Amino acid sequence: MKKLFAFVLTIGLGVLMIFSLRANTLFPEFGDVSIADRISALFLDKSVNGDNGDVVFGQTTDAEDGAANLVTSIVVDYRSFDTLGEVTVLFISSLGVALLLGVAGKQKRLALNFKPNFMLRVGSRALFGIILMTGVYVILHGHLTPGGGFPGGAMIASSILLLYLADDEFRTKVKGFKVLESVAGSLYVIVGLLGLVLATYFLQNFLPTGTVGDLFSAGVLPIVYVLIGLKVGSEISGIIDHFLTEGDLA
Amino acid sequence: MIQYAAILLFVLGLYGLLTNRNVIKIIVSLNVLEIGLNIFIISIGYVSGGIAPILTSVNNTSALLFVDPLPQALVLTAIVIGVGTTALGLAFAKSIYAKYGTFDLDEVEELK
Amino acid sequence: MSAVLLIAIPLLVAFVSILSKKLAPWLLLATPIANLVLLFLVPTGIVVIGGFQPPFGISLLLDTYSFIALFAVNALVFVIGLLNVKEYHQFSSILLVALAGLNGLILTNDLFNLFVFLEIAGIAAYLIAASNKKPASVFHYLVLGAVGSSFYLFGLIILYAMFGTLNMVDMIEKINAATVSASALILPFFLMFVGLGVEAKLLPFNSWVKGVLGSSNTMSGPMFASVYAVTVSFVFGRLLNNLFAFQGNLLVVVVAILLLGIALGEAMAFSSKKAREILLYSSIAQASVVILLFVNGLVLWGALLAVANAVSKFVLFYVVTKAQKEVGCDDLDSLQGMFQGNYVVGVAFSVAALSVIGIPLFAGFVLKLGYLTELAANANWLAIAVILVASLVEGIYYVRMLVKLWYPGEKEVKVSFGNVATVVIALAAALLLVFGVYRGPIDNLDNTIDSVSEVIDLG
Repeated sequence: MKKLFAFVLTIGLGVLMIFSLRANTLFPEFGDVSIADRISALFLDKSVNGDNGDVVFGQTTDAEDGAANLVTSIVVDYRSFDTLGEVTVLFISSLGVALLLGVAGKQKRLALNFKPNFMLRVGSRALFGIILMTGVYVILHGHLTPGGGFPGGAMIASSILLLYLADDEFRTKVKGFKVLESVAGSLYVIVGLLGLVLATYFLQNFLPTGTVGDLFSAGVLPIVYVLIGLKVGSEISGIIDHFLTEGDLA
Repeated sequence: MIQYAAILLFVLGLYGLLTNRNVIKIIVSLNVLEIGLNIFIISIGYVSGGIAPILTSVNNTSALLFVDPLPQALVLTAIVIGVGTTALGLAFAKSIYAKYGTFDLDEVEELK
Repeated sequence: MSAVLLIAIPLLVAFVSILSKKLAPWLLLATPIANLVLLFLVPTGIVVIGGFQPPFGISLLLDTYSFIALFAVNALVFVIGLLNVKEYHQFSSILLVALAGLNGLILTNDLFNLFVFLEIAGIAAYLIAASNKKPASVFHYLVLGAVGSSFYLFGLIILYAMFGTLNMVDMIEKINAATVSASALILPFFLMFVGLGVEAKLLPFNSWVKGVLGSSNTMSGPMFASVYAVTVSFVFGRLLNNLFAFQGNLLVVVVAILLLGIALGEAMAFSSKKAREILLYSSIAQASVVILLFVNGLVLWGALLAVANAVSKFVLFYVVTKAQKEVGCDDLDSLQGMFQGNYVVGVAFSVAALSVIGIPLFAGFVLKLGYLTELAANANWLAIAVILVASLVEGIYYVRMLVKLWYPGEKEVKVSFGNVATVVIALAAALLLVFGVYRGPIDNLDNTIDSVSEVIDLG
């Protein structure tokens, strides 16, 4: 009976949504979007603060935003304040996981139900370096290619997870992660405050943006993405550590 | 069409949330719902024939036809927030299990 | 000096505070005070972030409306921190993040940014609720909260697809300019209303309230019943006044939900015997009253009622949760006569309760008179009738509760509140008394405290 009620309710909601969207003349058909009507048109041309014409890869210099990856330019520049909030969400979740699953350090590792052999240990160490380096590469090139601080940070955390799964003795220093996430988070806010002091607005880009497409370009964007990468990496690693340890639960 | 598929996933997740009483299954349903929503957000930005909004040495000018980058930036935020909520939900699941010895919310209510 | 510091400073302090367990509680107390000082120094108006003018960049909006809310939130967080700093010191960082999230919710002028802050404040709320040690009910809250914010985001994305903007002021302008049928806007507005309704404790999305507030403690009770309630009311009010143009059938549905919320909340409070449950059902009803005022366009009265409720609910919840902690039970029978020997706290509690009912001499009366007059001017007889009957029911159960708590029972109940708490509670009650008699500041304000429409006129 309860299931039938839930079924009718959800189907009703789905049908309502579909019909309402179909009847909605302003809601565009799939693929039939006119970007010129949206605020993102000016994000694509990097012309929010005055029309700068078309942006050309490798030629345009000192644009209002220097990232070749236009999604990055929105995530870390035009809407950087959202990203600061997003980082805060991850920060408070890792804080909450630590609070709920007990104080780290007093707990012991969750035992694996197999004995890792020599090959697994050595192989995972070798892979660890490769995954870690890929993560660092993705973070550093976030303003040029797909990727950035969030996927890169998740890659770093996945390399830590690999070590946890391949070695039943392995523990990281959670205290170190905590310092790293605190410092990276504080520096992000401080970069924002520097924008307020050195330029005019909070989180404003106060460094020269260089040539679109260069590794050293886009002003504070790569710096912020490195900070985000460190923060995300350390937070997710901290969460992994808390889930893979056991002890007295509150 | 893909938007209707996204809405279908969304209501499927909602159905799972309404009918399941197992903590882990509820978290999975929540994720299905969020994935439906994320696909919907991405689909809003698609332009027929548009390319990924990244300037490279091949697609080297912003005069080309790109898909809308803003929904992609929004979906990144939504995904990260979803990760945070899921991690916290799993932590609550672990402490529910530690306290009551079950993942079933019906049994938990009996023990209260 | 920029209003963005009101968000940036708590955030920075929160990031730093996880390094030192000893320093964190002090930082928690210093930050709201710094914010209160800052609030009087920063200029009002639109605050641009990142150097991109709205609607392209994210912007904040500080006007009298958000000023009132920010003042109330920061002052209440300071007081709640002060009273709980010893016992719940490990929650200091979480309260700091919550403060940043709530300030952001009040200030932001961007609808997606609102979603981000909703999540920050929401996740902080789950953790504050975790201090109740009832993981199952917090999990229920977490799931409802996550679904609610997904609904909000869904509605917002539909609006973005239609109008191509995320800035609140710009969105309102575009909706007004476009020749769009009202039916096309029903779906996004409805989804966003549902999403915010979860946090605003509106029927039928408030099933989490009983589990969370029903077992709340001296920190989580006042946090949810006063700080979160006042913030969500203000955010809802801003959107209801300016963005959501409820018309026709949708308006009927919304008003019906709210009136039903008032009626059911009061009825449940009337039939309950547990002190915390009475208060939580009463606050469900009060939340619906505030939203109802906003729906009817009474911005000023809705805002003031939200603040007055926050102050009264802070006193009521703190006293009851403290007594529950010492006695170990919150049945009215087992708390009987707890104000014998605690006269100051007893008087303050009575003032807060009587103010909620709306007895003359207290702030609640001035407000009730004010908004009922305006509702009468709008000939909104159904709302008036429901509110009057609700007040009557409210009067009965609050007076019943007061009589029980004052009149000594067979067993002596001893609750020691401590000097700091007694002074703080007495001050809060004095505030309700002062504004019950002296209404100078209120007369200077009107519905233009919410300046979004002015910003739109200026272009």
